[in-house]
Amino acid sequence: MTPAPAQTAPAQAVHTGGLRWQPLSRREPTIAGLDLEIPPGQRVLLAGASGSGKSTVLRALAGLLDPEDGDGEGLVPAPARPGERGLLLQNPVHALVGASIGRDAAFGPENAAIPRPALTERASRALAAARVDLDPRHAPLDTSGGQQQRIALAGALALDPGLLLLDEPTSMLDAPTAAQVRTAVLAAAEEATLVVAEHRIEPWLPHVDRLIVLGPQARILADGPPEQLLHERRDVLVETGVLPAEGHEARETPDRVPGDGEVVAALRGVRVPSRGLTAPQDLEVRAGDLTVLTGPSGAGKTTLLRVLTGSAQPGSGSADRPEPSRIATVPQDPEHSFVAATVREELTASPWARAEDLALELLDRAGLAHLAGAHPHRLSGGEQRRLAIAAALAQSPALLVLDEPTVGLDARRREEVLDLLRSARDRGCAVLAASHDELLVGAADHRHDLPAPETGTAVAPEPRRIPADALNPLTLCLIGILAAIGSFAVQSWQGGLLALAPAALLAPLAVRSPAGAALRLAPILLSAAGLAWTTALLGDAPALSGPAWLVGLKEAARITAFVAPGVLALGAVRPTPLGDALGQRLRLPGRPVAASVAALVRVSHLGRQWSTIVETRTRRGLGGPRSPRLLAGATLALLVDTLRGAEQQALAMDSRGFATALHRTWAAPSPVGRADLLGLGIAVMFLVWPLLAEMLVGPA
Amino acid sequence: MTRYRTVDLLVTVLIGAAFGVAFLGYGQLYTLIGPLTAAFKPAEGLLAGIWFLPAMLAGLIVRRPGAALLAEMVAAVLSMLLGSQWGWGTAISGLMQGGGVELAFLLTRYRRFTLPVAVLGGVLSALLEWGWEKIAYYQEMSWAFSGTMLAFFVLSGALLCGVLGWAASRALVATGAVDSLAAGREAARTVQV
Repeated sequence: MTPAPAQTAPAQAVHTGGLRWQPLSRREPTIAGLDLEIPPGQRVLLAGASGSGKSTVLRALAGLLDPEDGDGEGLVPAPARPGERGLLLQNPVHALVGASIGRDAAFGPENAAIPRPALTERASRALAAARVDLDPRHAPLDTSGGQQQRIALAGALALDPGLLLLDEPTSMLDAPTAAQVRTAVLAAAEEATLVVAEHRIEPWLPHVDRLIVLGPQARILADGPPEQLLHERRDVLVETGVLPAEGHEARETPDRVPGDGEVVAALRGVRVPSRGLTAPQDLEVRAGDLTVLTGPSGAGKTTLLRVLTGSAQPGSGSADRPEPSRIATVPQDPEHSFVAATVREELTASPWARAEDLALELLDRAGLAHLAGAHPHRLSGGEQRRLAIAAALAQSPALLVLDEPTVGLDARRREEVLDLLRSARDRGCAVLAASHDELLVGAADHRHDLPAPETGTAVAPEPRRIPADALNPLTLCLIGILAAIGSFAVQSWQGGLLALAPAALLAPLAVRSPAGAALRLAPILLSAAGLAWTTALLGDAPALSGPAWLVGLKEAARITAFVAPGVLALGAVRPTPLGDALGQRLRLPGRPVAASVAALVRVSHLGRQWSTIVETRTRRGLGGPRSPRLLAGATLALLVDTLRGAEQQALAMDSRGFATALHRTWAAPSPVGRADLLGLGIAVMFLVWPLLAEMLVGPA
Repeated sequence: MTRYRTVDLLVTVLIGAAFGVAFLGYGQLYTLIGPLTAAFKPAEGLLAGIWFLPAMLAGLIVRRPGAALLAEMVAAVLSMLLGSQWGWGTAISGLMQGGGVELAFLLTRYRRFTLPVAVLGGVLSALLEWGWEKIAYYQEMSWAFSGTMLAFFVLSGALLCGVLGWAASRALVATGAVDSLAAGREAARTVQV
């Protein structure tokens, strides 16, 4: 890939005067009168403690605060042209909308209604500028966090932003990956105005012209060149937690000797090649010790944790662990584990956590006593993390396992989490955390490094091409629909069986592999058998008599003729080409179609979230995967996760011009060719054949 | 109230997609009532209401015309693409189930989002879905059994879709995840943090 020039349009100035914003759900404004002048081309670093309103300020500067959501004064108007102000969020997962990297980068230009050849050129230039070096056919949601953030950057660059707004774009990444993303951002934004909000300021300092420190309600506490502020206003920087306090001594229990506790859990020669863990891993986790599992993203940290807790099977090797009731886990997203309506109830929600006095003590130690009556989902990120850890400790576990317990938190909140882990360790609990946080790694008694995964950017093998792929998705849909209508002509079991002939004959044209076909057809045949049984049992003829079974057979044949052609044809339909066809051929409204495709593209991601949620709850002893209660709670958790994500996603999409995309273009055509004429013939044949079959076998 | 902001549109389609995923796990529920349905097939109607939930939740949370129908259609199209055993029948079911809930909200002109309206939505969905299943799948079932099945459908629609869906929407509002949507805003007017 040849390096492309920076993609930016003339740099934009930023101006706000008396900007005020109060969301409907708050009693206090989150921005209480902000006056800000940023000349074109300036690079500004926005710092401040969590909750100081950095994100809201960026939203305001992007012109994306919705007057329906709150009361505002001096709001910055929405951008005059789509994508004029690019916005990058903390979690890149929310920014990704496409089934492939190429389509994702094209999303902005599609919204700006740029016609086709120019549109795809822009997308590929943006990918080069953001230093995305993966095959553009790759699925963005399957790449690593660092890659995802660069793909999101490309998404913003594709619309030539004159102002780039970045909301903690590297806070979820390990240090080397964060450096790569930073380099890509700085190179791509050479010509643009840049505003970066970040709670770890050091790595950005050499690259910015100006540092602004925000206090509560986005009040400016300090503003000036970074060197000057570091020199003259150090007190403010330390006080707000932007810089770590000097001379901060880690609390150490004096008479602790790491390594002399008993081994609580162990891995021996564990390999999980399917997850990139090819080198055998040996790990011992001891009571009273804090062990940290580190390694670059994608190395398999989470997988190894799951093997240790018994949630995943190793490819080879063995694992020793305590009873399930003595293992407590804290997932990366604490919300995935919450089940109760108050903080207090959350602590004793697990059947294994019944000691009231321990719960109260933990509540106090986690600094959550004043929030005992609050709803767990309404806590801040740091509070949620501490609550999840306290709830895990309330089970008095022998082994506490945490996945990235400090990710995305600022210095002070990371310290608070670490304090809780130290107290767990001091109680004699074996603590194992997967983390790339140097604070945690520094405090650990043992660290276990995982090697970097092999960086073969393996593209999934292209699925085998089948004749059905030559058809437009709409033709494939038509085949299924007409076949379903035609099946109503089935009147007799003989006619029904004959009606199935074309489906059986044509099936090989739409089948990618025998196993896949069996997977799709088995449920149909099972349902058909079920229907035959029901009909034979509950029909008008005497139950389970010969005639009743023949009616049942007719029903089974009819339902198979109804369903099978459609199911087989749909096997070749993918969401993205279907959206292209609905938008371009049927001219359905572009926004709902594009949003639906974006939702369908997330299904594999949602599936992963669902498994994590169910697993986390099962691990808390809240029931098995068949318990209606657990399923109901898991559904609610998945919805909370999805709806919170939706808000971020809407923001990311609107910053790429989606709000005004009433007439959008589509990055790929939706061709209709000669093959579709044949497909149309097949569809009509499916419509009339059952009728002909009935005529052939004569009146029943 | 009829303008769809991006967040309204996304929440609607994502509710559909999330339920499409959760439904895969719900298959387990049928094994729970397996002994019952093996002896008496119409009892399967008892679980019918859970399939109308995406429509109910989208309708109650987003509160815009078409949200219930769109969410249910996304869930239906998703299960079709994943290989649902009912093929294109799933799309018609989506239309009936989403349409029933939508109809209830339409009857109030999208002004009331209360428990009785939710129950009405569940019942209307049940009626429509039962009608479709009678035509497509249970043509030969005797009317006595079909009638029993209808009773199960209506009961399930009222409870599992109406009452449970309404309760779930309350629970979601309490988490703060829908603060930027119509349902959350109504709550925000009463409880501020």
